[in-house]
Amino acid sequence: MFNFVLKRLAIAIPTILILIVLSFMLMFAAPGGPFNSERPLPPQVLANLEARYGLDQPYWKQMSDYVVNVVTRFDFGPSFQYRDRTVTDVIMQGFPVTLTYGFWSFVVAVIVGVSLGVVAAIKHNTWLDYVAVGISVGAQVLPNFVMAPILVLVFTLWLGWLPGGGWQGGQWQYLILPVIALSTSYMASIARITRSSMLEVLNAGFIRTARAKGLPTWRIILGHALKPAMLPVLSYLGPAFVLMITGSVVIDVYFSTGGIGQFFVNSAFSRDYAVIMGITILVGVLTILFNLVVDVLYAWIDPKIRY
Amino acid sequence: MYPDKTTAAGLVDAAHLAEVQGRSLWKDARQRFMRNKAAVAGLVALVLITLFAFFGGFLAQWSTEEIDWPLMGNVAQAGGPSIANGHYFGVDELGRDLYARTVQGTRISLLVGFVGAAIAVIVGTLYGAIAGYFGGRTDGVMMRIVDILMAIPFMFVLILMLVIFGRSILMLFIGIGLISWLDMSRIARGQTLTLKNKEFVEAAIAIGVRPMTIILRHIVPNLLGLVIVYATLLVPTMIITESFISFLGLGVQEPATSLGALISAGAGQMQYGVIWQLAFPLFFFIVTLFAFFFVGDGLRDALDPKDR
Repeated sequence: MFNFVLKRLAIAIPTILILIVLSFMLMFAAPGGPFNSERPLPPQVLANLEARYGLDQPYWKQMSDYVVNVVTRFDFGPSFQYRDRTVTDVIMQGFPVTLTYGFWSFVVAVIVGVSLGVVAAIKHNTWLDYVAVGISVGAQVLPNFVMAPILVLVFTLWLGWLPGGGWQGGQWQYLILPVIALSTSYMASIARITRSSMLEVLNAGFIRTARAKGLPTWRIILGHALKPAMLPVLSYLGPAFVLMITGSVVIDVYFSTGGIGQFFVNSAFSRDYAVIMGITILVGVLTILFNLVVDVLYAWIDPKIRY
Repeated sequence: MYPDKTTAAGLVDAAHLAEVQGRSLWKDARQRFMRNKAAVAGLVALVLITLFAFFGGFLAQWSTEEIDWPLMGNVAQAGGPSIANGHYFGVDELGRDLYARTVQGTRISLLVGFVGAAIAVIVGTLYGAIAGYFGGRTDGVMMRIVDILMAIPFMFVLILMLVIFGRSILMLFIGIGLISWLDMSRIARGQTLTLKNKEFVEAAIAIGVRPMTIILRHIVPNLLGLVIVYATLLVPTMIITESFISFLGLGVQEPATSLGALISAGAGQMQYGVIWQLAFPLFFFIVTLFAFFFVGDGLRDALDPKDR
């Protein structure tokens, strides 16, 4: 087990470094510098500014400085757009928001998705099954940027039940629509995966044995079938996490929740490369770590995996 | 009953008989596909949408850029769908004809979907086939690269690229294509691993065919069924990706448009009661995706030997 984790880390760490270097190279290739403005600065001022931010250093020195700063101090440098703040400040402001509704979306997607899938599998080929499959097929063509306007249209404009945006420190009314919009399509995928793997497990010999010795259905499902049926779901959680982080960009933009997605898109429009890179790297690192956790969990749960 | 193969006429008969009885893989697949009602309905819908996207413009009474000035300040009351003034789908917030713009948006979304999927399929299949065929250390290195790239959040890198190199459809094609070949390469590699031990590959090696020729002539054609299935399922993913980026305003630039950009514009306007601006693009978006998913599922049932 220890060796397995080490081996995974041995892949994860170079991946993170490659991501950082790649983003740096992309940014360096961009035309124009951070201090190019409509009104050209006097050469001496420009030189001083560049010296202050280390931009007069050679390419390799700048790159290694950037990588070292990011890795050792989580320091992504100053933001070009918000002159008085560093990228880390910007991220720290938005990240708790993203984390809050991201966490709830994840919980909702997993709980609702798994229950829907399990019910559909137990009631295979009944109307319950068809309803569950219908929901998951429908949700496939409703990605979050389609879901968000539809939800606002129905619950805010027509029914007037819930606010159509804002955050207000994360009160529950402001949380509901973003969480639904973000979790729908992942919930559907999780339901579909759970259903098919549950169907497979329910046909297995050990389930027949459990039935034969007269266990009640709920004990068969919870005690015997659920754990092996969860394995494919577990391996989907890695990609789902990535998609959810990506989807949070839409949620932030549409609901004005103020998470990192909003800063990301604002920075994309104002060409604030430092913030874009910082967020890209943060998301990349989170993704890699999350995949690592999923891999380890998978190896831990699945007895068939030898490491 | 059976033709007598000793006479010339009998031989011709036998040849005919063999011809009649021959059932190719493709014919088999076509029959299975045709039995799947959802898939056929999806295919019909897809043909209709493609016709709409490429020829629907001829029915439009307005161009995509013309502004209907009398309607412009009065969109919520007078800008709705109407046959009388030639705006079948109404007008957008600037008084431009939404029918013409939906045609254009559907066309661009379909193009992005197809081109993105094509790039992904070509790059992914070749990469996977080469890695799988050569095996050993080459395979190890190539697939490790794929593993590493897969861990990178590409939506963010794509947006970073669009910001740095300027937003254009070409950049969008390249970026989306770059994201999506990774899955394809894994699938192609897996299939190549089983194919390369088959007799016909052995025979080709024995008569001294060069490795790249074996890959292109013997491996890739045998991957075709699988590739087609995944390509059909890739197109809607590409369309979603493009729409996602256009929804954020980072994709296709005005005056060009795509379904994602139209949905975004419609969603931004809907509190003024101009619901048609969201409804029509959304309808085409959803129908297109549904159609692709159904056709993809049908093709998978028809072509993928695993699920039979």
